[in-house]
Amino acid sequence: MKKTLLACTGLSLVILAGCATKPPVQVAESAVVGQVPADPPKNPVMTAEALKSASKSIAVTDIYFKKEGKNLTFIEETRITTDNSITSTIAPKKIEVDADKANASAITGGANSSAFPVKFTNLADPKSTSPGTATPPTPVVDTAPPSDNASSANTQSMKKSGYQSNHEYGELRYLANPIRGLLIKSGYKVVQAKSTPVTANQGDEYFDIVKRIKAGDFGDADYVLYGVLAEISSTDNVADIPGTKSTSQQVTLEVTVDFNIVDTKTTQIVASFVASGEGKDVQIDGRDTSHKPSMAKLMKLASLDLAEDVRKHLADQNFITNNPGSAGQVRNLKRRLDDDASTLKVYK
Amino acid sequence: MNMNTKTIRLSAIALLVAALAACSGPQVRYGDAKAVETVNANYGSTDLQMIAEAMTRSLLQSKAISGSKDAPIVTLADVKNKTSEYIDTRVITDKIRTQLMKSGQVRFAVSVSEMQNQTEELKRQNQSGLYKNSTIAKTGNMQGAQYRIEGSIASIVKNTKDVKDVYYVFNLNLINNESGLLEWADEKEIRKTATR
Repeated sequence: MKKTLLACTGLSLVILAGCATKPPVQVAESAVVGQVPADPPKNPVMTAEALKSASKSIAVTDIYFKKEGKNLTFIEETRITTDNSITSTIAPKKIEVDADKANASAITGGANSSAFPVKFTNLADPKSTSPGTATPPTPVVDTAPPSDNASSANTQSMKKSGYQSNHEYGELRYLANPIRGLLIKSGYKVVQAKSTPVTANQGDEYFDIVKRIKAGDFGDADYVLYGVLAEISSTDNVADIPGTKSTSQQVTLEVTVDFNIVDTKTTQIVASFVASGEGKDVQIDGRDTSHKPSMAKLMKLASLDLAEDVRKHLADQNFITNNPGSAGQVRNLKRRLDDDASTLKVYK
Repeated sequence: MNMNTKTIRLSAIALLVAALAACSGPQVRYGDAKAVETVNANYGSTDLQMIAEAMTRSLLQSKAISGSKDAPIVTLADVKNKTSEYIDTRVITDKIRTQLMKSGQVRFAVSVSEMQNQTEELKRQNQSGLYKNSTIAKTGNMQGAQYRIEGSIASIVKNTKDVKDVYYVFNLNLINNESGLLEWADEKEIRKTATR
């Protein structure tokens, strides 16, 4: 009887012990990505340090720009041909003019044509027109009168003139930092990108990001966000305020930038958009008080606004979440880390 | 002697009564502000109250207001007076605004007639350089109204020797500022007849 009781007690203890060591049923984590309306309790495992060590890296270039200008060029070339050789002397003269004046010049028959007392024909010499938009030239050839000299030297004088297009390439260094900041807040490691030096006779290959990736300008970054300035404009307008005796002076600085994000391993574009930013200074009765707005403040406002627009586009294209720092963002980031970086996925 | 004394006494009493009568002035008493006023057939306080109450009730039941998640922002525009009387139409819209505000279903942005004060306040805070930056109500953050309220009041008056008949019609419209669509409209008719 006692033995039976002991056996039953022992069996019960074994069953109880078995129940106690049974692992809890794992609840599958819901793979919610993209726009998350409400965040569930934060995952304590995903600490800031873990995020920092595990996150993808991105390099953000400064904003590239290309500025177009025009020069009025006038070349006199004297070519002396003898029996044995040809000697050529070129005397180039260059006058810088504003693009709008140039466009309204004699070439187009504009109003400013009398301002340039030269005969306008586009340059024939590809060296002087490159990279230009010249049309086939009509050089003026003056042939010198026959010389009495028995050596039969022939002198030709050519005059060529027209507009030479030039392009200035570079990087704006003060617009990209707020964008870098938002990417850091979104969980990315931001890598410093090397600046791009401008070479002589620089062409549009300046924007060749793949070449730069292959050259190792972005270190070991997984992505490169690069932007090309499409337009920057400043306006100063005054308007009446209805119902008052006052006016408002609005000085606005607007920037529009074309952005792409490239996967450095596959050179695939994983996000692409145009973003714009606006810095505005509004002064009531500003014109009356000769108010001078601070361009530094406008630039700061424009760059912050640009970064905000970039954030919206990146969220639209699922590159970051709508709420940086939220638990939804952490989950998205975790999901992204688990993804194969070589493919672009659209989350819903 | 007796006669003289009597005359003096009577004169003194008469003088006292006259002085007291002069000092008493017009009689003042408070009345019910909502009592029906029928002094004449002209536009009066009862008309104002009837119009405001009817319009507020109707407006609050409109889809634009009752169907909105957040209280929409509205501004007051003109109510044109097309009658031959002088009517301060601003009082009508102000009364409607007060009742709408009390309902909590609508928020109001400053109207054009209130812009002068608003502009001066913003100018004072932003441009005088006297205020702490973090406390300044900044220029450029005013909220635009989704809707505006505008309307008109018109009347038809007919007189005979003994009868004066006045017909008022008050129209009010709620217009979506962005789309230009008329979201709600209602009217209140009032007929008043005065006979001698």
